[in-house]
Amino acid sequence: MKRQTTAKETFESFKNSFFYGSRVNMNFKFLEHLSESEADLFFQGLLKRLSEAYDRNDDGRVSGYIIEWQLKAYSHQKGFAYEEGPFAPLSKPLSELRLGLLTSSGHFVKGQDPEPLGVKNMTQDEALARVMDFLKEEPQLSSIPIDTPPEQLCVRHGGYDISGSKLDCNVSLPIQRLNEFVRKGLIAELASPAHSFVGACSQKRLLKKTGPRWVKILQEQKIDAALLVPV
Amino acid sequence: MSVGHIARLLEAAGIPTVIVAVQSFRKRLEMMTVPRALLTPHLMGRPIGRPGDREQQQSVIQAVLELLETADQGGTIIDFKD
Repeated sequence: MKRQTTAKETFESFKNSFFYGSRVNMNFKFLEHLSESEADLFFQGLLKRLSEAYDRNDDGRVSGYIIEWQLKAYSHQKGFAYEEGPFAPLSKPLSELRLGLLTSSGHFVKGQDPEPLGVKNMTQDEALARVMDFLKEEPQLSSIPIDTPPEQLCVRHGGYDISGSKLDCNVSLPIQRLNEFVRKGLIAELASPAHSFVGACSQKRLLKKTGPRWVKILQEQKIDAALLVPV
Repeated sequence: MSVGHIARLLEAAGIPTVIVAVQSFRKRLEMMTVPRALLTPHLMGRPIGRPGDREQQQSVIQAVLELLETADQGGTIIDFKD
């Protein structure tokens, strides 16, 4: 019999491997934030719901359960805290509004790759592997004309599961939905281009340098308000 | 966090903003006292709704625009109801 030389994997390293480890999976990276006993409960509940979903032909039971645990895992998250925030009132009714759109989904138009970290044709896997490098960098803004056909859009982001955005840009960059609202007269205009960037970036640089520059870009678009979509 | 910072910078420059995000971002957005935010009960990465579910996506856009119009003070963070 061959002697086992590698150490047995612990449950802790198993659950943490979904967070940028050997089992990297952006939908389940939240497992790293759970204790071992919480993660144990999560897996037991997930398996139970998988068979229930089959029996009842209801996949909402599974997705609802995963969403519930994502919420729980991120409920104690620390970050930037501000006591008060600026508030600009809306100056006109929606039907007269020229709206801007900015998302942190990491979309760009085919042929206009922002080439983050100086890398040409970076793959999604490389973006995941280099997320720590992204967090030190200044983000880049991609311009997306609002009539861009969905098949001309690309998405790459090392901080979230892009599979929904790849299937349908509107889940995180709702240009088609907003164009429909314009056609119905519910808002007057959607400013073109819309904008997208990779939200996993240096917050310090974003606040001091990049953000103020982007504010000028949006001001030049003469928008009355902006819809912002984080992912 | 990035979008929270952009929201704060835009509002300070006089441009009203509204955020649509998944409920898992609640804590972060509350801590940042963002101006207006609609929280949706969706899987992370799909704040507007499921891929291909045009009706659901339209409902979310409708709700987020209503919030933009009706919020009268900063830190207005509400849940999307289907």
